[in-house]
Amino acid sequence: MRGSRGRMAVALIAVISGATVISALLGLEFDIERQLTQQFRLLGANVVISQPGSAHALPSWQASAETLGSPVLMDQAPVLAQIERMPGADVVAAAPFLYVVAHAEDTPVVVAGTWLDQTRGLNPTWKITGHWVRSRDDEADCLIGRRVARQFSLAPGSSLEIDSLDRSAEVRVAGVIDAGGTEDSQILVNLPVAQKLAKTSAAGQIELVLMSIRGTSTAIGRYTEQLAAALPGYSVRPIQVVSQAEGNLLDRTRLLIALMVVLILVLTALCVLATMAALAMERRKDVGLMKALGGSISRIVALFLAEVGTLGAVGGLIGSIGGIGLARWMGLRVFNASIHARWDVFPLTIALMVGVALAGALPLRLLGKVKPAVILRGE
Amino acid sequence: MAPLVEVENLRKEFGNVRALDGVSLRVEAGEWIAIMGPSGSGKTTLINILGGLDTPTSGSAIVDGTDVARLDEAGLTRFRAEKIGFVFQQFYLVPYLTALENVMLAQYFHSTTDEREARAELERVGLTDRIDHLPGELSGGEQQRVAVARALINQPKLILADEPTGNLDEANEQIVLRLLGELHSEGHTILMVTHAPEIGQLADRRIDLAHGRLARSPAASR
Repeated sequence: MRGSRGRMAVALIAVISGATVISALLGLEFDIERQLTQQFRLLGANVVISQPGSAHALPSWQASAETLGSPVLMDQAPVLAQIERMPGADVVAAAPFLYVVAHAEDTPVVVAGTWLDQTRGLNPTWKITGHWVRSRDDEADCLIGRRVARQFSLAPGSSLEIDSLDRSAEVRVAGVIDAGGTEDSQILVNLPVAQKLAKTSAAGQIELVLMSIRGTSTAIGRYTEQLAAALPGYSVRPIQVVSQAEGNLLDRTRLLIALMVVLILVLTALCVLATMAALAMERRKDVGLMKALGGSISRIVALFLAEVGTLGAVGGLIGSIGGIGLARWMGLRVFNASIHARWDVFPLTIALMVGVALAGALPLRLLGKVKPAVILRGE
Repeated sequence: MAPLVEVENLRKEFGNVRALDGVSLRVEAGEWIAIMGPSGSGKTTLINILGGLDTPTSGSAIVDGTDVARLDEAGLTRFRAEKIGFVFQQFYLVPYLTALENVMLAQYFHSTTDEREARAELERVGLTDRIDHLPGELSGGEQQRVAVARALINQPKLILADEPTGNLDEANEQIVLRLLGELHSEGHTILMVTHAPEIGQLADRRIDLAHGRLARSPAASR
């Protein structure tokens, strides 16, 4: 390397640059599943448990007073008990739901009975004015959607009377939520309140359970199957939109990363190739001398390959370190989350860079054609 | 006892140019031979063939029992590594390797490197203090002494020196010639190309070439 510092520096910069980007991409590749999983968990619930036959054109939790159909109810006790008992999943939040069409100031409105202490965990993207309800036993407080707040001129601290048939409940608004969906038109109360507003037979009854489980789509699918087996007669299914979107995005992101890695490897190899071609020409005289001294082409090329291999290893190592920083930056920019440093990226990047550097050393084959007598004659 | 070098009717043509035209000669082991003649007389071509750097068009050139005319590329490479030590007019040191590394390079091509031996060889040619210097940091005479150390490191059967003092001032010329004299007295066989008659006189014998043919091969006294 001492002989051609300029050229080798150019090749080293190419290898470091390539290694930095590849290391960052590999870091992303290895961490992408965890990152995407986290991102998709931000979308909220990903498993729903209900009675078979309760499927509507719209899920109840996305329905308005006009579109909410007749619910098929189920006993809450066995379902919730089974969820408590089921091991093997990282449950972020889980809550039963019972939907009732009630009236406020003679206007129909959907009242969703749930566990309000789980609302935030199930819906991490919701924004709130006021405060969350921290207890599922609190029958005095409720959350209301922003459209409900506007329609009835309500604000945190306001009182609201809800009527359903001959039953009524007076609740205080703890917070106004901005869900960006149909929940903006709903009143969320704790489950006992909704059960009292519903017909008498709804005591201890729920329509569905929503769960937010942290994990890959495969892990969630596995957990869903286990829960379905433990709850025969119930419909336990992943929320397909989220799961499929996660799987598709993961596949596409991985393909994109793989293509970029291949492209960068090829570009780096081409840069090393150009440098090595120039180096081979530059060192023809040295090679002629080495041959005159009895150097076989295999031993001479071994010297050059040792240089190139060292170049790849050093460039790969430096690039791997740089790649950690780049991966973190990309993680923050793309996923708004930090990418974990993966040490297994180091040997992989270094091995790739050594391989690319050696592949780029193909022009060294030209050295086999050098005739020592011709070189020493100065031709 | 068979001669170390035996050349029979050696011819070498470069296109239409006949560089060697039926040269025959013998060199006994331990001889110091001066090959002389005007430019273009075939001196360098002769030692290039004897050193396995070039192949003859016809004839034979047997060195230590090996006919270099019959060797393939790999055989010539091995032959150069094991039997020949070259000293060139232009020194031909690898510029980015130190004196020590230049000597060890020849070891590497022969078999394995031995730093201790390489240091000892450089000390022998009087370069104890210059071992870790690059060629660019050495005088011409010092560079040529590194080249001599490199030529000797693998204990070759034959030392081929092409104008070894051609690029040196008088002081360095004397140092290198004294070194060659020492090698000769130790029993090394030396074929030295030179233009200078006074240097040629130092050899045991002088071979004159003209137009690719032997002009004369007189016995010479020291």
